[in-house]
Amino acid sequence: MSVVEHSSPDLGHGSGAPPHRRGILMRPGFVRGIWCFALFFLIGLYLVAGVRWLAGWDPVYDWNIIVLVGGLVMGPVGFLLGIGAFDYWLYWVSGRPTRPDDHANHGAYSWKDYFKVNTDHKVIGVQYLATTFVFFVLGGLMAMLFRAELAQPGMQFMDTQTYNGLVSMHAALMIFVFIIPAFAGLANFAVPLMLGAPDMAFPRLNALSFWFLPIAGTMFLASFLAPGGAFATGWTSYAPLASEQPIGQVFFNMGVQWAGASSILTALNFLVTIITMRAPGMTFWRMPLLVWANFTTSLLVVIATPFIAGSQFFVMFDRVLHTSFFVPEGGGYVLGYQHIFWFYSHPAVYIMILPGFGIISEIISVMSRKPIFGYRLMAISLLGILVLGFSVWAHHMFVAGMADWLRVPMMISTLLIAVPTGVKVFSWLATLWEGRIHLNTPMLFALGFISMFLIGGLSGIYLASVPITIHASDTYFIVAHIHYVLFGGSVLTIFAGIYYWFPKMTGRMYSERLGKLHFWLTFVSFNLTFFPMHWVGLVGMPRRVADYSDRFANINLFITISSFALGASVVVFFYNVIVSWARGPIAESNPWRAMTLEWQVSSPPPVFNFDEIPQVVGGPYEYGVPGARHAILSGGAAPAEATV
Amino acid sequence: MRRGAIVRITGIGIVIAILVFLVAYLIPWLPTPASEQMKRIEHVYWFVTVICIFIFALVISVLVYSVLNFRSPPEDESDGPSIHGNTGLEIVWTVVPAILVIAIGVVSAIVLSQNGNAGTNPMTIKVFAQQFSWRFEYPGSNNLKSYELVMPVDRNITFKMNSADVIHSFWIPAMGQKQDLVPGIDTSIVITPTRTGTFTLVCAELCGLGHATMRAPVRVVSQSDFAAWVKDQQGSGGTGTDGAAVFSSAGCGACHTFTPAGSKGAVGPNLDNVAADAKKAGEVPAAYVKESIVDPNKVLAPGYAAGVMPGNFGDSLSAKEIAALVTYLTGAKQ
Repeated sequence: MSVVEHSSPDLGHGSGAPPHRRGILMRPGFVRGIWCFALFFLIGLYLVAGVRWLAGWDPVYDWNIIVLVGGLVMGPVGFLLGIGAFDYWLYWVSGRPTRPDDHANHGAYSWKDYFKVNTDHKVIGVQYLATTFVFFVLGGLMAMLFRAELAQPGMQFMDTQTYNGLVSMHAALMIFVFIIPAFAGLANFAVPLMLGAPDMAFPRLNALSFWFLPIAGTMFLASFLAPGGAFATGWTSYAPLASEQPIGQVFFNMGVQWAGASSILTALNFLVTIITMRAPGMTFWRMPLLVWANFTTSLLVVIATPFIAGSQFFVMFDRVLHTSFFVPEGGGYVLGYQHIFWFYSHPAVYIMILPGFGIISEIISVMSRKPIFGYRLMAISLLGILVLGFSVWAHHMFVAGMADWLRVPMMISTLLIAVPTGVKVFSWLATLWEGRIHLNTPMLFALGFISMFLIGGLSGIYLASVPITIHASDTYFIVAHIHYVLFGGSVLTIFAGIYYWFPKMTGRMYSERLGKLHFWLTFVSFNLTFFPMHWVGLVGMPRRVADYSDRFANINLFITISSFALGASVVVFFYNVIVSWARGPIAESNPWRAMTLEWQVSSPPPVFNFDEIPQVVGGPYEYGVPGARHAILSGGAAPAEATV
Repeated sequence: MRRGAIVRITGIGIVIAILVFLVAYLIPWLPTPASEQMKRIEHVYWFVTVICIFIFALVISVLVYSVLNFRSPPEDESDGPSIHGNTGLEIVWTVVPAILVIAIGVVSAIVLSQNGNAGTNPMTIKVFAQQFSWRFEYPGSNNLKSYELVMPVDRNITFKMNSADVIHSFWIPAMGQKQDLVPGIDTSIVITPTRTGTFTLVCAELCGLGHATMRAPVRVVSQSDFAAWVKDQQGSGGTGTDGAAVFSSAGCGACHTFTPAGSKGAVGPNLDNVAADAKKAGEVPAAYVKESIVDPNKVLAPGYAAGVMPGNFGDSLSAKEIAALVTYLTGAKQ
């Protein structure tokens, strides 16, 4: 476990009352969380019933509304209150004594501390990763279930409601509660360390944003229990289909709100941290590219995420309040949903890849023992993607029936995004050139990422071209494309990042042999699974179908078998991570001989990161420059472990 | 040394390019075109493919070469040369891709405008979609109604489309063109079929439980055969009185299992059991079936939700067609 070895859990700060005197029911934790959930659910229930009774509406107990207000809004708020996410603020608001200097909720001293509201960005980073990987496994198992159904034409194991539910759930879990927050987790761990900061700017807000996440994921999953089944309209959940679905759909609408709120708060936290908490000398042009990537991503999140929140509220209001945002009979505009949805969801693909770009830049430079090639252009290209990313959303709507004139401008801006992306790929190649390449696990994943993302990027060029997209849209070609960018792209970078920072997070080293095995199994089975989908889509198989024409039977069977192999490859990863975390060899503070600040402190780092604020004196990638330093720490050497 | 590297990378690049080209060329990645529009799409496709093969071969050859030549043993603690960048190179790899993608944009925009051009005197076919069936109307032929899409070959056809409930998408894979049908707005698309034969129209936008089986038969025939078909249809008054034909053309089989029709849909109740279901509802089979077609939410078969079966078959099917369908479903021997 990533536990700071420490003689006594009592930090000895302050003289306030010890925080754990209360009984188990009143102490912040899961027990209080559960009864507070129940209490707030009842408040929501009687709020709805009371209003309906007063207004004379029948039935008074309308469970569609009660589940929404009590179960999906009030209950989670109660849960957060119960686990103690609001305690400090409530003390402060009510004028009771707060404990500003007592860092009892900071840092992890035993595994139990990972299940509590904790304000240490390193603990929160690990909490994010552990939680998101639970959803990753569940989402992956669902993919294998519906791949089993697709092994043969016709229906074998499930009905179409279950099939559509599994497909929708797979995407919702992977996008909203795996990829986006997994990057937030890695960044949470690494960014404050890389900046030379003791923590994030708002540690309590950081903790709160994390705890939104299990709520969002649980909410998605709970829709399987709803009458009528899970939401089954795809992760895009287009109106008006989504406005007339069984109640499971509302679990999606609200789950997105919780996940979105989590993203927005985290992004604000990153922005403030990056702008105001850089160590002395850490100018913008000396920041590691991972920090640049998260700076850009956070801007995207803050600007774009309110749009998906809006779109999901509108769809839900059409259903619950009988508004007509997207109902044509009431004067609504059906395509309005898609415009608002994609105004978030296109930038969302950059939210899901830019942090990966940052991770890859770190790894390629360190493992090639060379400065990153064209550092400034690398940072500027991120900003270029940020700006262009907001001008391409309608390329998801080339066949949707939107205004014809929008298509060519959106095609041109989409094609132009290939330019800053290309700059990044070429710069990574130039960084490799004449380097001293160390082919360890993070580097294998980084190189695998470049080649797979290249394929995803090139199939994106096809999809930018409107005439081709008119043929390929809504087919398995799209499924292939998004898995090459999201799995071959994002997920490989997440693996790369986890292997790279594993020694820093846990203080132990993973097994290189298993890491490499994991890479090659994933790389091969990934390609066998998703490459054939390009073909099956172009020759005529639409996506999101539970059943298909007999002529696609063989290729689908092949894809299904490959996807099982891909699922199995993840087992190697979990085995490696869990066993190494428990029993791996103790890691040095800087096993990669990297220059960035997180490697200049112990593994795992001290609770407050740095004994003394470091002084930054140069760029972060000055490999091969004689005598170059990125930063000067107290005494010039890595401090001894955990001297708080 | 440097020249040697360039020669070797070019060698690797050419090998990779040839291999990828063979993959692109030998596998039939697109269906055999059946429309003018699909032929043009194929041209754009090849234009893009050539550029993509070039970029792919370039990147992968440099990657492979670097890994093979600059690999360092774990115990090597030396650093590489401190190259921070090269302005000339950075300008080149910004400008050249920009030119390539703009070229793709220009070619695509030209083809897009050609593919949207219906020319003079196009034929119009109206398309209506609802969960989970297709219906076509021929305004030039006295508003002839059909559940099969029949088109004359080599004629520009403008499809004017509309959806009754949710978003559907009109796609005949071999003809390339695709267009969503959106409730509340009219959309259109142009197709010029170039070869006769039978095809399948599929719904490409997730539209609910029966989405996967929302298909319609498509037939492209010669001009004279088309005229004959129109005449024949008008003579018989639509799909006519053949219950089996109504069953297949109205898309019933997409959702319902019915052994005489060979359908295996599982969205709605199994129609092989229609007599037993009528008994449970306490009605005579004929009245029960008719009611379930015209007003499907009135009596629900156990285990099936309201609002899944479209409620407008009473309007879209003629009285004659409904009568034929009822006879067919209540056990009329073929």
